[in-house]
Amino acid sequence: MIEVYLILIALAVVLSMYRFFRGPTTADRIVAVDIMTTLTTGLMVLFALYYRRAIFLDVALVYAVLAFLGVITFARYMEGGL
Amino acid sequence: MSDWVAIFIAALMVISAIFAVEWRDLLAAVVGMAAVSLFASIAFFFLQAPDVAMVEAAIGAALSAAVFIFAIKRTERYESEEEGTGWWVRW
Repeated sequence: MIEVYLILIALAVVLSMYRFFRGPTTADRIVAVDIMTTLTTGLMVLFALYYRRAIFLDVALVYAVLAFLGVITFARYMEGGL
Repeated sequence: MSDWVAIFIAALMVISAIFAVEWRDLLAAVVGMAAVSLFASIAFFFLQAPDVAMVEAAIGAALSAAVFIFAIKRTERYESEEEGTGWWVRW
């Protein structure tokens, strides 16, 4: 049953990769990468469930914080601040 | 299943790396670099090295992108020479 969820999340990553490649502006690509990091965090939690190891959940926690920091940096540059 | 997941992650990483090199907008290239770091982190995670995946996420997603953004802010965003602007541009 977990494999079905993994395949669905992989399909969502592929569909957001389309916007990442064909995005006309840079903001589209930034949003696509943000979506991919969020999907990836869910993928890490599903892998922790699949391998039945609780240590894998810490990676998802750290990644959720740091992806937010990266997107904030991009947004501050696009705004003109920084 | 394990082989197909590894091939899938590697293919996404290779395609992202090619586009990160090809784009002329340097901000888009930094976004491509962040995507490559993302897939590298997933690859490390899938190969059951969670500490390496955590450090890769910390370095690649936040620190490296922030440093490149600071560098782009101090210099310029686009690569300078454009195609077909005039005969006097290219000698």
